[in-house]
Amino acid sequence: MDYLDYVQMTKGQRFAYRIKSFFTGIPGAIKKFFAIVGAIVKKIFLGLGHFFQNYGGRFVKGDIGTKLSYVIMGAGSMLHGQIMKGLIFLATEVAYIYFMITFGSYYLARIYNSNMILLTTTKTAQGYEQWGTGALGKEVAVHHTGTFGSELKNPDTYDDSNKVLLFFVLTCIVTIAFIAVYIANTKSAYASQQLKREGKKPLNFLQEMKTFLDERFHVTLLTLPIVLLITFNILPIIFTIFMAFTNYDEKHQPPANLYQWVGVKNFADVFYSNPMKSETFGKILIWTLIWAVFATFTNYIFGIILALLINKKGIKAKGFWRTMFVVTAAVPQFVTLLVMKLMLDDKGAVNSLLTSVGIPAVPFLTNATWARITVIVVNMWVGIPYTMLITSGLLMNIPEDLYESARIDGANAVQQFTKITFPYILFVTTPYLITTFVGNINNFNVIYFLTGGGPAVSEYYRAGKTDLLVTWLYKLTVDTKDYNLAAVIGIMVFIICAIGSLIAFNMSKASKNEEEFS
Amino acid sequence: MTNTNDSMKTGYAQKRKAINTIVYIILSVMVVIWIVPIIWLILQSFNTEMGVTTKFFPSSFTFDHYIALFTDEQYPYGKWILNTFMVAALSCVISTLFILMVSYALSRLRFKVRKTFLNLGLILGMFPGFMSMAATYNIMDIFGLKQQLFALVIVYSAGAGLGYQVAKGFFDTIPRSLDEAAKIDGATRNQIFWQIILPLSKPIIVYTALTTFTGPWADYIFVSYFMKDNESNWTVALGLYKMLDKEAISTHFTTFCAGAVLIAIPITILFIIMQRFYVEGVTGGAVKG
Amino acid sequence: MASKSKKAVALLLTAMMAAAAMAGCGDSSAPATTVTSTTATESGEEELTVINLDDEEVLTTIKNKMKEEADAQTGDKKGKVSLKVWCASTDLAFEQSLAKEFEEKFADSGYELKIRVSGAIGEDASGSKIIEGPEDGADVFNFADDQLSSLVEAGDIAPVAGYFLGNVKSENTEDSIDICTVNDEVYAYPKTSDNGYFLYYDKRFFDESDVADFDAMVSKAGQSGKSVFFDMGNGWYSTGFFFTAGCTVSYKDGKQTATYNSDEGLSAAKAMCHIAENTGNGFEGTPGTMGDNAYVKAGFEDGSLVAAVIGTWVGPDIKAAIGEENVGAAKLPTVLMDGEQKQLDSFGGYKLIGVNKFSTYSFSSQVLAYYLGCPDSQLKRYQTRGLIATSTKALEDDKLKADPALLAIEAQKPYAHAQGASVSGKYWASNIGGFGGEIVTEKGKLTDDQLKTKLKQIEDQMS
Repeated sequence: MDYLDYVQMTKGQRFAYRIKSFFTGIPGAIKKFFAIVGAIVKKIFLGLGHFFQNYGGRFVKGDIGTKLSYVIMGAGSMLHGQIMKGLIFLATEVAYIYFMITFGSYYLARIYNSNMILLTTTKTAQGYEQWGTGALGKEVAVHHTGTFGSELKNPDTYDDSNKVLLFFVLTCIVTIAFIAVYIANTKSAYASQQLKREGKKPLNFLQEMKTFLDERFHVTLLTLPIVLLITFNILPIIFTIFMAFTNYDEKHQPPANLYQWVGVKNFADVFYSNPMKSETFGKILIWTLIWAVFATFTNYIFGIILALLINKKGIKAKGFWRTMFVVTAAVPQFVTLLVMKLMLDDKGAVNSLLTSVGIPAVPFLTNATWARITVIVVNMWVGIPYTMLITSGLLMNIPEDLYESARIDGANAVQQFTKITFPYILFVTTPYLITTFVGNINNFNVIYFLTGGGPAVSEYYRAGKTDLLVTWLYKLTVDTKDYNLAAVIGIMVFIICAIGSLIAFNMSKASKNEEEFS
Repeated sequence: MTNTNDSMKTGYAQKRKAINTIVYIILSVMVVIWIVPIIWLILQSFNTEMGVTTKFFPSSFTFDHYIALFTDEQYPYGKWILNTFMVAALSCVISTLFILMVSYALSRLRFKVRKTFLNLGLILGMFPGFMSMAATYNIMDIFGLKQQLFALVIVYSAGAGLGYQVAKGFFDTIPRSLDEAAKIDGATRNQIFWQIILPLSKPIIVYTALTTFTGPWADYIFVSYFMKDNESNWTVALGLYKMLDKEAISTHFTTFCAGAVLIAIPITILFIIMQRFYVEGVTGGAVKG
Repeated sequence: MASKSKKAVALLLTAMMAAAAMAGCGDSSAPATTVTSTTATESGEEELTVINLDDEEVLTTIKNKMKEEADAQTGDKKGKVSLKVWCASTDLAFEQSLAKEFEEKFADSGYELKIRVSGAIGEDASGSKIIEGPEDGADVFNFADDQLSSLVEAGDIAPVAGYFLGNVKSENTEDSIDICTVNDEVYAYPKTSDNGYFLYYDKRFFDESDVADFDAMVSKAGQSGKSVFFDMGNGWYSTGFFFTAGCTVSYKDGKQTATYNSDEGLSAAKAMCHIAENTGNGFEGTPGTMGDNAYVKAGFEDGSLVAAVIGTWVGPDIKAAIGEENVGAAKLPTVLMDGEQKQLDSFGGYKLIGVNKFSTYSFSSQVLAYYLGCPDSQLKRYQTRGLIATSTKALEDDKLKADPALLAIEAQKPYAHAQGASVSGKYWASNIGGFGGEIVTEKGKLTDDQLKTKLKQIEDQMS
């Protein structure tokens, strides 16, 4: 179907078409997701090939200093007159070697040992004192020593799967960083060699430092954020992804019980081999998507309507109305949601109001169907003011003469809305809509504070009827200690968000193209 | 002009008046729905009874719960407010700085791995935020920051660079000719950033500061996992949540309400004052307030 | 008595010297001296020695040892004995007062003694939090007995120190010691015996003959617009039905089993459905979102509840709500199951005090744990918190002896099942509570097939 067919459709048909194209877009987006992954892999390999070509090439063409830099970092720089820079390179190498000998190698060796599966080797631990447990008359203090796992241990000397895995990842990251510095060292050596050959003097240290404020200002700006990002964001994510391949659950809680590699068992469990887990996952996934669609669009549509009402010509005290709604948006969510939860309780204020006027009490949060409706409705309560706030500003921004000319053409209020207001708002807020959708897939607060995921049902594995994937993830982490399963869920949420964003991105691109047509 | 036109006008005006009346009614009903829970919360905070009540209006009023907030040793609310403020303020400063730095670099500087960074940022942003908190907790242990407030600051601000999209969108709209002109005058990129771009970016700085302050201010997830039993390092979100525990709710519900009111007041005022910037941030400056 | 305690002191000193000697040759691969449990049992009961904490010499010995431990600490803990205790948040004030007493009693110029009591981790969760991160855990923690087996299995709880063993064994009831014993080793200090539930009722509404039969109670309450509360949405309570039906629930060698997917299981489920039919009409089966404690308290306060199945921890609240003289307590009523009235079973259990094996104060923690569970403390705990003691001496207290709650617990005892041997964390995580909750929200209108499917799902979740 080409664009001409599309513009000839009525509004309703267009809407249906949009919906249809959303769902027909899913396989395409999944394909695209993997295509992108494939492209990234391809790019990496190409890059590696390119890299080795350069790496070898520099060595061949290099002078003695450059060649020496391949073994002793900084040698080239020093020989070419950049003493300070060379020293820094050398210091990096020394530090890395020291790090590997004293720390890194230990954990690299322990990640996969001769027992094939254990994350750590057992290690003689000692130091804990236990007082004999026999009858008092026979009592002697016993100082236990023994192998780890079977005996008591001193907190300073035992192995811990968590630490081994964590330090392993850390060592890998440090190594990658070191390789980057190492490459920079060979490049720099070669570059200064060429400068010298051309008869120019390589930059001295101070000059080089100055480039960080100008030509290489991006390095200055990005270094600290990236270092922290790697340490506290990327490192834990990699750690967690590894966790998905272990049996780190309630039965394997280090330091007392170490955990092991189990391959893709956890993924198999979630997809097919454990009916309980896979059914729970499937059902929660479907509910998560239903929730995200409803939560996003109810807020969006009703928020716009509210904004239109407030900004309608002739309505007085616009600021008052707006502020009343903004107040509820400004109160921290955990407060409003907990208040809502108490008010909607089986015996809460709302139900006592209902029963007092003769309406039977409603199980807002305890009946599965009701609870699902309640969370969506309460989410509207939470979210509509935000949309109203954002779109109010936009409404005022639409040039008045557009409406004027529409009125002259005989357009009524509804037509003005569908022809002018809505397209404009949609155009401006599409990115916001996409982030809200992804945000709703990950909407922890509304579900957790309102229902806690409940009502719990026997058919779900450690979850309730209103649990989203993320609240399930949280409960698995905090309450039941199924860390491995939680990691798998986390990875799945990532993939879903990535695919969802791709679809949304494609659609918004399409809608922007449409703008260009009209 | 003419009489007929006038009568048409009055007919139109009457119709409009009728519509407006309906709109007023709808708005009033909605305001009631929206504001009632807040009123209920405020009323309960003065209720003399301690537990959850089903009645809307308390039978008698007291100010005791507000006093109890600052005298109850089991629930050291004053300490929590201080913690929350310190964590939120520090995270706000660091995060805002990081976001501005990263988005400026990605928006206005050209370097080799820029595209890769942009994509990596998008990808990392799609992992659920707290998916790896168990791991992060272990990392904090290495740094000796276990159950420390500073650990929270790090958690909230270390990944801040990933939230570059909005600010980058803003920087993208500033004409590049400004940079060019400054460069001709001999300014370094460092000087351009601090002296030319940042002064122009007040709206986005306020927006970033607002969101990076309110986020930690109201966060429950990380605090609940990181602080465990260390009550003196809890923040208000966790502390108030604990007041509604099964064991505490029947004696601390009204104290919870008082605490919730107190915590809501400053943030609500802040938000109402700053709402213009919030809107501008979200809509990418499409609104000129 | 004096000579006995002298002997104990001597033994303590020997023990310490031995410990010091061992510490000196810490790298020896095998323990030079082993205390095997066989010698302990062979030596017989009469050899158990009782230490008197009020004895000057005992006190000095303990203080010396605590000083030694304080000096052995590193970093800013050096010279300090700082212990952390976890207790239920409702008990916090009381446990803090005990901790204060302990601080005063064992204060010494040689070290700085500081105890921090936290109510953030309750008794139902403390064990699992210790297992999750023993290093972050409290040195001494109060916990419900169902967590003992997992704690022992995980190797995170230290056994009761030898020289308190005599005290603990002689001062507490035999049943409570049995509960604390796993693999012939005593792992915890018993504290209260009321980690079970029974029936609280309003004497003004029901008389003693009324409270024998659940259906009769519900219909009587329903007629006056009142309700009887039984938290079916909580597995801890609803398991009683399955016990009554004859299901076996067991936890052995790390395996949780429950024969719910069976005819007996179905009978239990149908009995629950039968009662839930009256939901909203004389029966309430879930406490909604505020939790059972607050629900029962509020219910008795506003008069909507006239009876509730719950435990001693809400006793003080109920007393405050309807007056002590109107509070009745009885064993659980009978329920209609397979066409006949059967006595409803329950969980009965104990609350215990454990010592974290990873505590850097292995000695001081034992002393504190013993102190918190000693007869005097138990009696005080009853007097302030209304919690039923396990100490034989405390149980002789006149008021405690006549406490209706104690009598109700005693009456329910033949039908009460110990938790330690039957359930683990897996049991609670199986959504057994969700099952009861579904029955209540559906008002018991579930077909046999639906019930069977759900029972099978519960069983599946435990494996």
